[in-house]
Amino acid sequence: MNTNLWSLKSGDRCEIVGYDDALDEKYRIRLMEFGFHPGESVSCLQSLAFGAPKVYRVSNTVFSLDDEVASHVLVRIATPHE
Amino acid sequence: MSKVLLIGSPNSGKSLLFNRLTGLHHKVANFPGITVDVSTGRVPDLPDVELIDFPGTYSLQAISADERVAVDYFERSLDDPDVSHVLCVVDATRLEKSLYFTLQVIRESARHGKPVTVLANMMDVLESHKLSLDVEQLAVELQAPVVPVSGRSGKGIDRVIAALRGDMVLPQTWATERSVDVPDEQLRVKAHKLAQRFGTSGDVLIRNQTRLDGIFLHSVTGGFAFFFIMYLLFQSIFTWAAPLMDAVETVLGVAADWIVPKIGNQTARDFTADALFGGVGAFLVFVPQIFILTFVIGLLEDSGYMARAALICHKPLRLFGLTGKSFIPMLSGVACAIPAIYAARAIDSPRKRLLTYMAIPLMPCSARLPVYTLLIAAFIPASTALGGLVGWQGLAMFMIYFFGMFCGLLVTALVSRTSKDHHSDLPFVLELPPYRLPSLKPLLRTCWNRSKHFVTKAGKIIFAVTVGVWVLGYFPNFGADLGTSWLGYLGHIIEPLFAPLGLDWRYGVAILSSFLAREVFVGTLGTIFGIESADEQMAPLVQHIQNSDMTLGSGIALLVFFAIALQCISTLAILAKESGSSSLAVKMFAGYFLFAYAAAVAVYQLTNLFT
Repeated sequence: MNTNLWSLKSGDRCEIVGYDDALDEKYRIRLMEFGFHPGESVSCLQSLAFGAPKVYRVSNTVFSLDDEVASHVLVRIATPHE
Repeated sequence: MSKVLLIGSPNSGKSLLFNRLTGLHHKVANFPGITVDVSTGRVPDLPDVELIDFPGTYSLQAISADERVAVDYFERSLDDPDVSHVLCVVDATRLEKSLYFTLQVIRESARHGKPVTVLANMMDVLESHKLSLDVEQLAVELQAPVVPVSGRSGKGIDRVIAALRGDMVLPQTWATERSVDVPDEQLRVKAHKLAQRFGTSGDVLIRNQTRLDGIFLHSVTGGFAFFFIMYLLFQSIFTWAAPLMDAVETVLGVAADWIVPKIGNQTARDFTADALFGGVGAFLVFVPQIFILTFVIGLLEDSGYMARAALICHKPLRLFGLTGKSFIPMLSGVACAIPAIYAARAIDSPRKRLLTYMAIPLMPCSARLPVYTLLIAAFIPASTALGGLVGWQGLAMFMIYFFGMFCGLLVTALVSRTSKDHHSDLPFVLELPPYRLPSLKPLLRTCWNRSKHFVTKAGKIIFAVTVGVWVLGYFPNFGADLGTSWLGYLGHIIEPLFAPLGLDWRYGVAILSSFLAREVFVGTLGTIFGIESADEQMAPLVQHIQNSDMTLGSGIALLVFFAIALQCISTLAILAKESGSSSLAVKMFAGYFLFAYAAAVAVYQLTNLFT
């Protein structure tokens, strides 16, 4: 199922598909530098209350992204056996 | 003397390595207006080598003004013929984060003909989890020697020294020409492949981090932990710093008591007592607060909690154009704006940092407290309501505190919505580093440097203004009567300005002198009314104000004026130094004066309508 990174809930895993056009080029570059490459596997470690930034894991690094960034990262939700 | 550049991404343990290599032989240079500090130090084992520690950066492709300065400085340094070597630090436990940047550094260094040695730091963490890194093969792929090190234990430092001595022989196959023209996109792909090949997999390295995040970011336990830690931070600058601040005052007082009587000339004696010791005391007293707050914030940063606190506060503060990282500086501002402005260095987005600078002076700092106490005691009845549950004076104090915070958030919300400058902004992508025990030595070094920066940079401005105000208050009658001094004369000149608030020249003089520090208002008013030690014993002054013809409207107008106006020379001086812009400090002073004045006039007129 294709959606965006922000829609993930705690425990969800996904694969990055790309970025939408609304995301500023410099932000896209910075995300790639952090390891959010298309094809990369990302898991949501924590989805906090009151719309606070969510916590994601890429490889061995943990990042927090708010909805202004995460909602522009397009992902495919991994099925449980993936 | 040859120079060696030390560069690496944030949270890669670079500062610890720098400390290991240089011991305590270093100094810090600061770029005004940005958060970038560049430290230089001598390596004891290599007396002819100077090590230059660059601020941590994720990429050589800068996306903010701060990063641009750091990257430009790095690129200029590569042009320097004295630079003989580049050390690039990577976090061996999280290679994927560092390798793209490392490849960029290797490429740029190759362009300038500078050799690079990659320091794979935190090998102790890998070893403690029985993991390893194939440094030989990684070196072949990077076309640069890779030295496994641990900044924390010091293991491998001797090999870094050997590399700098040139004892490390590079294989002939590492022909750097090939990597000179590789575009960023290809480096990104290569970094990704190398990270997948050499990086550690599995949960073992972040297991502890995930478990602790389960506590510190939990909606219940995380909330309690946050309030407890913020309470400790607040206590540190409000309560724990107090004895040290008192000690500074006592030492200066003893020194003054010893020196002043030895001076024969009366004017020179008054100048030494009031302007020299008073002026030096006015800014030295903030040093303990700056030192302690820097220390506590350093503990929070190094332990990894700072990033979690920023995450927790981000959403509500975003509504006002701020970021989660604005919270600690603003909270610190409730104690004192000066250390709070230093604390804003932790905000990486220049735009958000500027907005935080704007909010800090409106936080109800402790210097406002004596002014609020005096005015509330004079104008608000000491009676209670609801069977003693609500005291009017307490309620008034709460409201004026809340009013300051409200104004701060109102200003940032308005400015962030009307100013469309997003070029200096950064996305909220925050690395949550692993929880670690802080290292004291580098932390104390930062505290020392920050305190020294305050004394040497802001101290000059504060001292000059203190002397200026002293001269105005002392002459032409040699301190006999403040009312007939030049300051008193100025008070009479500006009397029409304060007339719409129902205030006469005496309050004008007190407001002028409170530019040194807000609490000076109380003492000056006492001097004008002929009351000794009004700042220590307020009751006679309160009586005097109540018996004068000052109205309730004027009292509330003064409260509002003090809640908003930025009449604090120390804050303005440090604001100018930290922002790198004197015009920002002047604009904020003028803007908040107009805001304070307009609000005070409006409140005075409104109160008069109903009383």
